[in-house]
Amino acid sequence: MVSTVRRSWTVPACLAAALLLGACSTSATTSSPGSSGAPLVIGASMSLSGDFADLAGPAKKGYDLWADTVNAKGGLLGRKVSLKIVDDASNPTQVVTNYQNLITADHVDLVFGPFSSLLTVPAATIASRFGYAFVEPSGGAPQVFALHLHNLFLAQPAPIVTSGDAYAAYILSLPADKRPHTAAYPTADDPFTTAIVTRIRQRLEAAGIRTVYSQTYAAETVDLSPITTRLVAEKPDLIISGTGGADAVAEVKGMVQAHWTPKFVYFTGGPNDPTFPSKVGAANAEGIFGTSDWLAEAKTAGNADFIKAYVAKYGGTAADIDPAAAEAFACGQLLELVAQRTGKIDNATIISALHKGSWPTVEGNLTWDADGATQGADIVVQWVGGKLLPVYPPAEAFAKPIAKPAWAG
Amino acid sequence: MTRFRPAGGIQALAFVVVLAVLPLLFGQHWVVSLLVFTVMYAGLAGSWNLLGGYAGYPALGHGAFFGIGAYAMTIGTTHLGVGGGYRPFLLVVPIAVGTAVVVLPIARLLLRTRAVAFAVLSITVMFMVQTLAYNIRGLTGGSQGIAVPLAPFAADTFERPFYYAMAVLLAVTVAVCWVVRTSKLGLALNAVRDDEDRARGLGVQTELVKLVAFSVSAGLTAAFGAVWAYYISYVFPGFAIDPLLSLGAILMAFLGGRRTLWGPVIGAALIVPAQQYFAYRYGASHLYLVAYAALFLLVIYLLPDGVIPSIVHRITRLRSSHRARARKDQILMEPALTPGERG
Amino acid sequence: MHLLLQATIAGILVGGVYALLASGQAMIFGVTRTVNFAQAIFAILSAYLSYTLFVDIGLDPFLSVLVLVPAMFAFGGGIYILMLRRLSRSSAELALLVLYALGIGVQGVLDFAYQTNTRVIAPAYADSSWTIAGYQIPVVRFYAFVLAAAVLYALYVIRQHTKLGRALRATTQNPVAARLLGVDVERISAIAMGLGVAAAGAAGAVFGMVIPFNGNSQYDLLSKLLSIAVLGGMASMGGTIVAAVILGVVESVVAATISPDWSAFAFLVVLFAVLMFRPQGLFGRRLRGAL
Repeated sequence: MVSTVRRSWTVPACLAAALLLGACSTSATTSSPGSSGAPLVIGASMSLSGDFADLAGPAKKGYDLWADTVNAKGGLLGRKVSLKIVDDASNPTQVVTNYQNLITADHVDLVFGPFSSLLTVPAATIASRFGYAFVEPSGGAPQVFALHLHNLFLAQPAPIVTSGDAYAAYILSLPADKRPHTAAYPTADDPFTTAIVTRIRQRLEAAGIRTVYSQTYAAETVDLSPITTRLVAEKPDLIISGTGGADAVAEVKGMVQAHWTPKFVYFTGGPNDPTFPSKVGAANAEGIFGTSDWLAEAKTAGNADFIKAYVAKYGGTAADIDPAAAEAFACGQLLELVAQRTGKIDNATIISALHKGSWPTVEGNLTWDADGATQGADIVVQWVGGKLLPVYPPAEAFAKPIAKPAWAG
Repeated sequence: MTRFRPAGGIQALAFVVVLAVLPLLFGQHWVVSLLVFTVMYAGLAGSWNLLGGYAGYPALGHGAFFGIGAYAMTIGTTHLGVGGGYRPFLLVVPIAVGTAVVVLPIARLLLRTRAVAFAVLSITVMFMVQTLAYNIRGLTGGSQGIAVPLAPFAADTFERPFYYAMAVLLAVTVAVCWVVRTSKLGLALNAVRDDEDRARGLGVQTELVKLVAFSVSAGLTAAFGAVWAYYISYVFPGFAIDPLLSLGAILMAFLGGRRTLWGPVIGAALIVPAQQYFAYRYGASHLYLVAYAALFLLVIYLLPDGVIPSIVHRITRLRSSHRARARKDQILMEPALTPGERG
Repeated sequence: MHLLLQATIAGILVGGVYALLASGQAMIFGVTRTVNFAQAIFAILSAYLSYTLFVDIGLDPFLSVLVLVPAMFAFGGGIYILMLRRLSRSSAELALLVLYALGIGVQGVLDFAYQTNTRVIAPAYADSSWTIAGYQIPVVRFYAFVLAAAVLYALYVIRQHTKLGRALRATTQNPVAARLLGVDVERISAIAMGLGVAAAGAAGAVFGMVIPFNGNSQYDLLSKLLSIAVLGGMASMGGTIVAAVILGVVESVVAATISPDWSAFAFLVVLFAVLMFRPQGLFGRRLRGAL
């Protein structure tokens, strides 16, 4: 029989060793602090696996592309940019760990934001605690700005909530006989889509457009057939659908299979994905509306160069570029501009500089309020003649909006 | 009757000292942050172990209770106006007790099934809770999530209050496990695990002990969820009620040794830093999942009973073979005794 | 009423595919007493392979089944021989963990090879549907259902009318007795695993046409499979078929008539209610210990 007294020591010893082993296993890599000439390390946590992985991929491409572009021009203030991108597995606990590690273990010089408002919220608070500027590409939900963080800057022309305003304005701009009389509002249940759809619905209901069907479905739903069954049954003139992308494709296919075409179809996410026509059929994509924060045709600052560089690095054409890449690229552009305008590139300078004046990027000219929300507007886009073109407001339009043609089988 | 052994007291003291001193030894923010999660998982594994290890009921849905704790914390600090600072920590005890009481009726229903049916039903309950969290928007904010007021702690030592809160909860969890193990309740649970029908036939109060294990396990899990919510400062249904969280805790309990006291803690201490490290270093290449799986498989094949039992087993074998050799030498060295001389 | 029937039809069609997946899992459990936690990711692996065959050489997904079923059979059998045989029969939990870990590893490899953007296999007929008596019948889902039924029938024939099938059933009922009667339990277990994974392969190939997928889809699918398995009875193939169709119909009908949010919930309520009265599931047998 083994002596119990002796055995009792093995356990705490194991425990201590395990904890020490654990604590030491994540040893810090060195990166020299900001002496000129030394690389400028920018850290970012991206969802490279997990639920958001399919949407975050283009954002990473945008960051990488920007790093290449700026280094080709000699870097920022003479220092080469080095990106440190880590995976958060679409998980908030990992996001917290990642930004803690990036900032306090690896001592990166600057950080960029992660993908998705859901992860931006915990990440931004950490950056704020350590005084880091937090330029972020895709956290535009109201909760992000409700944090009232002074160091946060969204790199899109408008926060999520107002991005649907443009489309509501378009519908209300139509003469009474062309306007839809009934509307349906299916939406995925996430802060991004729900906020937009709710806001559009409030405006349209106030203007007298009757709601015949309204439904929120779980964000991970992949089988949209119950929704499309109801849509086909109710036959609304207008469909305002809060989608992430894959669900938009599913809804279109459902309607195609049912051989029923609404007069107006708007998706919050999906149509501005360049591969949308290939997923639903080019003829079916025709006439579908969306709103976009970025367009290949837009004459925004540096857009032509961005597109050229993107195509050179990743192949394809301008039409293949996902706006997420442009958003990420814009984050980098903002840093470049701060360096140019102030001659410095530390966090305090970035934070104070970006709160004043207007900053031109591929996403448009950006200005922010105290909470980091941008103050511009998105543009209504529509698939016309096989291309995604801005159609409203008229000042920014490249084409006139068209009526939705019937589905092609 | 609990037996108190001096060796046990020294173990406990050493453990508490190590816990208390760790963030002071390794002061860097990222280490303390990692320790917060490590200690949290250690506690989750330990409290799961009460039901899954000692009683043998494989609950796969403890994520539900973690989420209930997290939401209770947010509701308490916002809707009920408890406010910020250190006060949210005071909410942890009522949340734990409240959850333990609230789950009793559900537990009574669930515990009528066993093994795989029980496991799947517990997952079912977890998804039900998640659905409720998504749908009762007035209370939980639905998919928009709900915020906990940001803690006002000094940036330099921001993580420390959270670490100590988790550490206290872990100490409580280990203490509870120890008390259970060394008491009649523990014996009853083991009997349930080994052969429930026979135990009941022998007069063991199986229904009562299972219920107690379930309830305590759920309450402790909810406590960790509450502190987590305060640390992350924002709660979304998909993140707070997460099946992977339960699976992680179970893996740690298995790894460390399901029938032991310290097993879950060791399991967590090994896995959490490794997993977060893998995600951080290798995530960009997608090989992080592969590395994690490889580690997992390695452990299962090399240490099938868990770390502690395997180590103990090895030590026992070494000692007994050592002793056998010593006895053999002794026998060879002893002069032959005549029958008359043998005393 | 029209809506109700339409939803029921849709539910039955998709239920057929789930039935195929779940039956494979039931077969594996019956013979090896291990819940295959990797069944969902194997289906997705097959979906990816089918996708690659379709995109690279234009092979129709239904035809790719002919290639994928034998491949996945070999894969499943190989997994059993390499990884599970060395674990003793009593450590069913370890086998479960091994399969779970393997599933994670496979997902990692798939994420690495295919990246994580969702895919859909879209042959030309993917969007067509027939209208019969006013009800929509999407072509793809119909053929997927037919394929699932065909494979299930094949499995049924194997189990009931072949020597192999007898050995499978014997091992399911009582492995010790089967061994005494001369059944090579290890070989049969490997074959059972192969068949179960082959079923996943067939289901996966067509699943990829119906629903967009990536590596992460395995969790949602796995939770459905587990619910089906428990409702139907862990080792009962017939039970899992019934349960799968029930799942499909309940979810579809509730989603269409009430709300998709509550469809999964509704099925869980059904499951809960059944298990309260019959913990072994609709068609399962009450086994001591393991269940």
